[in-house]
Amino acid sequence: MLLIRRCEPSNSLASKSKRNFMSQTNGQLLEVKGLRTYFETEDGTVKAVDGISFALRRGETLGIVGESGSGKSVTNLSIIRLIPNPPGKIVSGEVVFNGQDLLLLSAEQVRRIRGRRIAMIFQDPMTSLNPFMKISRQLMEMTQLHLGHTRAQAYEHAIKMLETVGIPDARGRIDSYPHEFSGGMRQRVMIAMALSCEPELLIADEPTTALDVTIQAQILELIKELKRETGTSVILITHDLGVVAGMTDHVIVMYAGKVFEQAPTEELFSHPGNPYTSGLLRSVPDPTDEQDQLYQIPGLPPDVAHLQPGCPFAPRCERAEEICQREFPPFVQLSADHFSLCHFAREIFGESGGAAR
Amino acid sequence: MSTEPTIFNQARPPIQGNRDNPLIAIRNLKVHFDLGGGGVFDKLIGNNPIRRVVKAVDGISIDIFPGETLGLVGESGCGKSTLGRAVLRLTEPTAGQVLYRNRDLAHLSGRELREERRHLQIIFQDPYASLNPRMTVGQIVGEPLETFRLAKGRKAEERVQELLETVGLSKRFIKRYPHEFSGGQRQRIGIARALAVDPDFIVADEPISALDVSIQAQIMNLLEKLQREKNLTYLFISHDLRAIRHVSDRVAVMYLGKLVEVADARTIYDEPLMPYTKALISAVPVPDPQVEATRQRIVLEGDVPSPINPPAGCRFHTRCPYAIETCREVVPRLVEIKPAHFAACIRISPEQPHIENVAPGAAPGLEAAQLTSAPKPAK
Repeated sequence: MLLIRRCEPSNSLASKSKRNFMSQTNGQLLEVKGLRTYFETEDGTVKAVDGISFALRRGETLGIVGESGSGKSVTNLSIIRLIPNPPGKIVSGEVVFNGQDLLLLSAEQVRRIRGRRIAMIFQDPMTSLNPFMKISRQLMEMTQLHLGHTRAQAYEHAIKMLETVGIPDARGRIDSYPHEFSGGMRQRVMIAMALSCEPELLIADEPTTALDVTIQAQILELIKELKRETGTSVILITHDLGVVAGMTDHVIVMYAGKVFEQAPTEELFSHPGNPYTSGLLRSVPDPTDEQDQLYQIPGLPPDVAHLQPGCPFAPRCERAEEICQREFPPFVQLSADHFSLCHFAREIFGESGGAAR
Repeated sequence: MSTEPTIFNQARPPIQGNRDNPLIAIRNLKVHFDLGGGGVFDKLIGNNPIRRVVKAVDGISIDIFPGETLGLVGESGCGKSTLGRAVLRLTEPTAGQVLYRNRDLAHLSGRELREERRHLQIIFQDPYASLNPRMTVGQIVGEPLETFRLAKGRKAEERVQELLETVGLSKRFIKRYPHEFSGGQRQRIGIARALAVDPDFIVADEPISALDVSIQAQIMNLLEKLQREKNLTYLFISHDLRAIRHVSDRVAVMYLGKLVEVADARTIYDEPLMPYTKALISAVPVPDPQVEATRQRIVLEGDVPSPINPPAGCRFHTRCPYAIETCREVVPRLVEIKPAHFAACIRISPEQPHIENVAPGAAPGLEAAQLTSAPKPAK
């Protein structure tokens, strides 16, 4: 009935040295360089993603955090080339996956990678599963298409996958329809489907946002466990800083289509180097800590169709000075793996106790 | 702005704020939804002739005191929103009482109820669905003034402007329509509308769930500021345990139509007693990687059972790691395990409050659960 798991300390010596070894031998799985995705609307060009770069090492989990409209989901859809065109268009940039730029491939070539080597889990499992198709058929489709399984092979494989994601009586329930499953179970089915071709990269876009807290805990544990077993790299897109803290190795914080900060998870939380990040961290109530008043970032996220010159966060930033209204901020390197888009990045990093290198 | 006394700035008799004089007293409140079944047709086709009833709220008793925020937390389908709506009689209760200043709202006539509703307001979850898209902000916020004949014409307009400023919106917005605003701004409009009639008590039903993180903080702070300034009492309903912890004075945890634990906010988080609350609290992700790396998490297996004909006995027994045979039969009562800390579990008692230390198979709270007298409401 009950599983009490002591989460392995992610900073233990063993896991760290293993990770370093992995990164040295295999290097980067995914590298996004200068990606720009724009949408043409009646209201003007919306620069949903505007020149972002990041890298993901094999076996790692990268968290992408941001508020709605920050461009985190568009980043994900650009990587797997699912941007509806028109109105959307990837204007420039590279998405290098295993040494291959996905943006240069034909639609047919991308289709062979999507689902097979890069898999996705979306927020709402009810809208991502076809309500008219049995779970079995939806799962089998994946391996029949990508791995060339026969019907019988695919059926057995689908049962195995449902067992892997912890669906009780998988053989008995595989021929059910999605509505016969609860929200948490449907999300498990989505994960089973995503992992059935053993992808190298799993992109999870708000995988637990639609779920209850106790179910969220189940799904997060499941993703962690499967990651440990299969070594899949994960990009986790979420607005929940608590989920990021427990799940990821690296974090990038997005705002108005730009990467505002990127850092190893622990460093981001302990020594943020950007006023937006530290504002976000302070505006989340911490259940282990008593606060009288919650810090609030004033104002509203900007309209990305009508960005003013200067730093997009300046109108809401308590640190903003004259230069912030005028000049776009530089992307400052704060330590080996830590960058921040801010005119005062070094000062803020220093104040939060970080030692600039 | 005029300084002459109006109905809004007149001094009202202060509400006595003590533990013997609740503002809202909920007594054995039940809301059941009959889904039918068990009819002639079911018998003909050989179905089990059992009526299917959703016991969304099933015998809840709790007091809400003047000036406090009572947080009501639970997972989807546990009945927390139904409870909030039943308190205001937006959903008709099946049984029980809701006493507001010693009048039973559950049994008032339509006209009497409308009078009392002036003092009782609600803020809804979805600021996109709860505002009429064809009305201007001025009309939306001003409508309650008209309904209750509190102000009209120029006075009403001044009042609307004042309300907009109270919730942090520019009074220039008065002629605009809801679609011109962001989610956070719309929620502010909803709050302004609730405040228009100068209520005592507001049910806030998931007021921040649809909003972005930075906007959630703004709305929580606004609600707290208004509470201080206007001596408001809140029933704050949310599934977000971090938000509940922050805004609430006391927290009530609900599971499948029943309250399972009630205590002040700090106690619920630091020292939960009932196994479900323990699991719920431990499942909350903490925004601190070091805490996350070392903390012990209780992962419950399975899902919340269907509220249609829920499990007998303790409704949590199907997922409870500590359940014993008796839990399947005996319905636990909310018992004061520690001073002002109530929990519903037969396996703990005031003498043995920590379930981890209770002998295997023992049920020290069984006697209290089987008492026939009416349970004491949680205070």
